[in-house]
Amino acid sequence: MLRSLIYSITFHSILVLLTILSLPFMIREPIDLPPIVSVELIQITDKTSIPYAPKARKIIEETKKKEEERLVSEQAPPAAKAKEKPDRIPLPNEKKEEKQIVKKKQNPEEIKPEIRQASEFEKKEIIDTNQIAALIDKAKEEEAVKQKKTDKITQSTRKNSFATGLTLSQEDALRAQIFGCWSVPLGLPYDEDLLVRIKLKLKKDGTILKSEILDHQRMNRPGQKFYKVLAESALRAVRLCQPLKVPPTGYDKWKDLQLNFNPTEMLKG
Amino acid sequence: MKKFFFIFFFNIFLITNSSALIEIDITRGNLDPLPIAISPLHVDVKSENYEGMKIKELGENISKIIENNFRGTGLFNPLKKEAFVQKPDIAHLKPRFEDWRLIKAQALVTGKLLVKGEKLKVEFRLWDLAAAKEMTALAFTTTPSNWRRVAHIISDKIYERLTGEEGYFDTRIIYVAESGPKNQRIKKLAIMDQDGAKTKYLTLGNELVLTPRFNPTNQMVTYMSYFRNMPRVYLLDIETGTQEVVGNFPGMTFAPRFSPDGKKIVMSFAKDGNSDIYTMDLDSRVVERITDHSSIDTSPSFSPDGKFIAFNSDRSGLQQIYVMRSDGTGVKRITFGNGIYGTPVWSPRGDLIAFTKMRKGRFYIGVMRTDGSGERLLTENYYQEAPSWSPNGRVLVFYRETKSGSKGEGFSAKLWSIDITGYNERRLKTETDASDPSWSSLLSK
Amino acid sequence: MMFNKNLKNILLVIFATLILSACSTAKKSGNIEGDVYTGKETVKFLASGVPDRVFFATNKSSLTTASRATLRKQATYLRKNKNLTVTIEGHADERGTREYNLALGERRANAARDYLMTYGISGKRISVISYGKEKPVNPASTPLAWSQNRRSVTVKVN
Repeated sequence: MLRSLIYSITFHSILVLLTILSLPFMIREPIDLPPIVSVELIQITDKTSIPYAPKARKIIEETKKKEEERLVSEQAPPAAKAKEKPDRIPLPNEKKEEKQIVKKKQNPEEIKPEIRQASEFEKKEIIDTNQIAALIDKAKEEEAVKQKKTDKITQSTRKNSFATGLTLSQEDALRAQIFGCWSVPLGLPYDEDLLVRIKLKLKKDGTILKSEILDHQRMNRPGQKFYKVLAESALRAVRLCQPLKVPPTGYDKWKDLQLNFNPTEMLKG
Repeated sequence: MKKFFFIFFFNIFLITNSSALIEIDITRGNLDPLPIAISPLHVDVKSENYEGMKIKELGENISKIIENNFRGTGLFNPLKKEAFVQKPDIAHLKPRFEDWRLIKAQALVTGKLLVKGEKLKVEFRLWDLAAAKEMTALAFTTTPSNWRRVAHIISDKIYERLTGEEGYFDTRIIYVAESGPKNQRIKKLAIMDQDGAKTKYLTLGNELVLTPRFNPTNQMVTYMSYFRNMPRVYLLDIETGTQEVVGNFPGMTFAPRFSPDGKKIVMSFAKDGNSDIYTMDLDSRVVERITDHSSIDTSPSFSPDGKFIAFNSDRSGLQQIYVMRSDGTGVKRITFGNGIYGTPVWSPRGDLIAFTKMRKGRFYIGVMRTDGSGERLLTENYYQEAPSWSPNGRVLVFYRETKSGSKGEGFSAKLWSIDITGYNERRLKTETDASDPSWSSLLSK
Repeated sequence: MMFNKNLKNILLVIFATLILSACSTAKKSGNIEGDVYTGKETVKFLASGVPDRVFFATNKSSLTTASRATLRKQATYLRKNKNLTVTIEGHADERGTREYNLALGERRANAARDYLMTYGISGKRISVISYGKEKPVNPASTPLAWSQNRRSVTVKVN
């Protein structure tokens, strides 16, 4: 009796399983839709129909602030570490001064557009700089190659620079702050290599003394409108974020900062 | 050699430098639409009346159109005007940036207008509020009746400055306006501004009309009409209203489109039940046969350089998309995915083909590269087809039909648009039901 | 709890199977064979015993045995009425792109025309027009309606 019941149950469950597997409507195909697209669709409806977006953003910012606070408070122990290495600081500083001198000597013609565009990019200037840009196009190609190389280098040395500069949590706090200020231009193509590097000189209170886009000639080159839009959004982010949430001590370590804005991951969704 | 030395030196010096500088990677940010304040345009007190137009409200109305355009992109969030602190005239002279930043705006549009001597003069400025500086400024002079177009042109300029790509606001859409019950539809050609304003009907609805498409200068439209029960491709001059049959074909011609230079029309001609693709030169009237195959070949669409034609064929058994050189050689099938494909349309940038895909009773609008790779389905629905590109290649407009009940009730056909990223799907306002949209190029070009 | 869930699933499967089987029996007993409409609901007559239309499978323009029989009746009728000319209207259902459907309707109308011609009717007496999906005879969005709309209709001209 019991045996036949077991037989019956197993047999039936096999049957049921088979029907589940073979019935066409049970096989749903979410696979059909590329997952990226459908995820984005959900975001859109939220975002395009938002009369309340500012409120939502406030909430986001508040939570972010809280996160930052948390991060800042957590950083207390590593601060001691940072203090251990003051003797290292003069070295890079010296080198930087060297570098500036070298720059002046080596390519004075490149400095001109730098100064101009760092201040403003208006129409007339665009024309001028375009011409200049055309003239020194070749030089720039080389520069681009160099940059690729140096990108790798900076990546490998980044850990090192943390060690000499900010602690990880200090850096995270700053990063979180800028995340909140940066309105990413949504229309950018996600398949282009868009990386904007901004060099900042900071005051002790975290306000910005000077901001400079490292590859700013690219902004006014023809066909680089997307880069320009991104660069401007990055500059806006930095300005809107003022004063930056810098650590109370170690000004010498963070008075020069470089921010690398890279939206590629985000735009890919 | 000198160069080499220079590179070498430069490298070293960057390496040493990078170890000193703290670098922070910013890979996340706020993905909300950019908050932008569009101040009403200040109306100069010296403005005169013009043909009963409400000049006083013109500044407000222009700013509303700009606002509406920007909201429609999904990339921008135009802020509510009640929160604006500065008056339009003062804001246009020199905005108090702190005040505008307070309401969380990142960009500000200001402007002023003057109507005098039957002329409308409009100037506008776009401000970067964070940097406290002007990003762009322009002035236009036109007749006052053109004020809507001015609003669209301003929108285009701002859009271009803020996104890095051309706008698509000063454009029109031609479509088929539909009315009546599902099995007795009355169809008319209609044209409207991209934002749904200024709808004009170009035919009376006495005969069935289908698939209108603009020529590159937006003056001519090619479409299909059942005039006198002879389904043929027609050519219509929008300005003069003159119409003519394209060519002298002994059977149905359909699925017309202009070549990118506007000199030819490419279309299908059905002879003894078999549809092949033909072109006709509009000046010389020379007709060329492009495909010769016993299958259905239809829905041809030129690449923007005119070198290739994408088309729809069932030579493999079911509808698939093919690409060939514009002389008909080198035919290559590009769609191999599950399902069947129709209505290929080459993007104005040339890098993508938009299409309709049908699979398991569902209809998708998607884009793929011109070799068929990188297929992305943007939207799925019960029935939708016939995508048409915005001139900047960022948005697709298409039509969508609903399922109907046993007597055809509940049936509707509407125009929809979607960003090629799959973002921002929205319905376009039309006075009647609508289908077969075709987007013009920028009018002010 | 777990058991409950399983039970629910099993019940669902059984229920669905019942629904499905109901569907398939409707298909067999009703007016669609394979994919082709076989009923008479929408059919009109050119003369007594001469149906005016034939039906097609989805995306197909081949004639079924029943369609051939209908067309042979039409051919006989046309032979008897030598002065009669006809137009064959080709149609498609609403589940395809507009342009392809125009071509498909054309192909269906021509399939009917070709068959009439093999039975001795002069091509000059038969004109052809395709309406694609533009003129559904049944406006519903159901498989039955679509099968009724996939058709070619012979219409007397004079």
